[in-house]
Amino acid sequence: MVCDYPDRMWKLLIAFVLTAAATAGAARASPVRDCDADSPDCVAVGKWNVSLALGAGVRSNPLVHGQDLPLVVVPRISYYGKRFYIDDLDVGFTVFDGAKSTLSLIASPGYDRIFFYRSDLQNIFVQLAGAAGTNPPPVRIPLRPRAITYLAGPEWTFNYHDIIGQFDVLREVTGHNHGEEVRAAIQLPVTRSTGALSATLGLTWQSAAIVNYYYGAPRIYESGSALRPFLKLAYTRPLGRGWRLEGIAQYEHLADAIADSPIVAHDYVVTCFFGFVHAF
Amino acid sequence: MRFSMGSRAGRCAAILVVAVLTGGMDEPGSGIQLELKPRVCTLAANERQCSTTVHANWHSPREESLCLIILGRSDVKRCWEHYSQGTYSVELVFSDDLLFELKDSRLETVLASEALRIIREAIRYRHRRRDPWNIFQ
Repeated sequence: MVCDYPDRMWKLLIAFVLTAAATAGAARASPVRDCDADSPDCVAVGKWNVSLALGAGVRSNPLVHGQDLPLVVVPRISYYGKRFYIDDLDVGFTVFDGAKSTLSLIASPGYDRIFFYRSDLQNIFVQLAGAAGTNPPPVRIPLRPRAITYLAGPEWTFNYHDIIGQFDVLREVTGHNHGEEVRAAIQLPVTRSTGALSATLGLTWQSAAIVNYYYGAPRIYESGSALRPFLKLAYTRPLGRGWRLEGIAQYEHLADAIADSPIVAHDYVVTCFFGFVHAF
Repeated sequence: MRFSMGSRAGRCAAILVVAVLTGGMDEPGSGIQLELKPRVCTLAANERQCSTTVHANWHSPREESLCLIILGRSDVKRCWEHYSQGTYSVELVFSDDLLFELKDSRLETVLASEALRIIREAIRYRHRRRDPWNIFQ
């Protein structure tokens, strides 16, 4: 089924902005918790943060002939200015920063490209989506390049006790597919003693324009929008001197709109990693 | 101005003259000026220590025999014999305020002192991005 939801998308965006603005206003009216060096939720302004994950892991590749990507060394870089920030390959401008709620405008790369190009930077700074394929898709689908794309839009994040939520409404702004994407996730604490185990439920909604840009082929396969829910379990345990132990397992289900594509072999992406992270 | 020594005004004037004359008499160690450059070291948020060359300059209306020391830093000491001025430059690495003192040659009396102060830029904090959608968050 070929369909798009531009009206629904913009209604969603307006509702999101209104909700975020109301929340931001409420948060501004309430006492804001001090941010200091002892708070794990806070970070020093004007300082680069670099960490390196060393361990063993793998991400599956749903593409036909796609090879799984081993995860051994995963760098992470971030920088926070007063409002501007860089978070790996994402950049953002914080409009409101409260103790419970944050509203930002962000730009983030389109992740699906990593399925097709092992050299994509997102295969170095690992994000949510799956691994790169070194083999081309089946010959019956004409080969075509998938450019690096960026999506931009508002991001609302919040925390309620130990629950963390994130909601992004993004639009492709680099002129390659003009699609829309919604990213949402809720992270819940499961156990917390010397280490912390958390579960994250999330989803990614992609408009038909984005789905077809990556998985479609003119006159061969054209799809509608896709919903991609995922479940992630993460365990982290501080070890001291900047080291921590980290284990991650994530299952992402791909909607039929993606899984039915002739270049896709699996309707899921599995990611797991276990190793040590050092913050410099 | 003429005034009667017996009058109250006259006694006051006499006291004033004596005070001025007494004050104007130089005693050893008085009137010594000590200057430091720089007087302040500013640390950025990511710096822990100051590392700089400090120039100490002193001068006196008369010849003095004295020593320049830094409180708590026994490795730094420079003395002069019968000089009315002196300069001393030293490279220093420090993380707390330093107190420079000019003392008499027996190191008993402080004749002048100046502090080299550290000003730390306040480290500001903000909330880290909450990004549970990211796999490594």
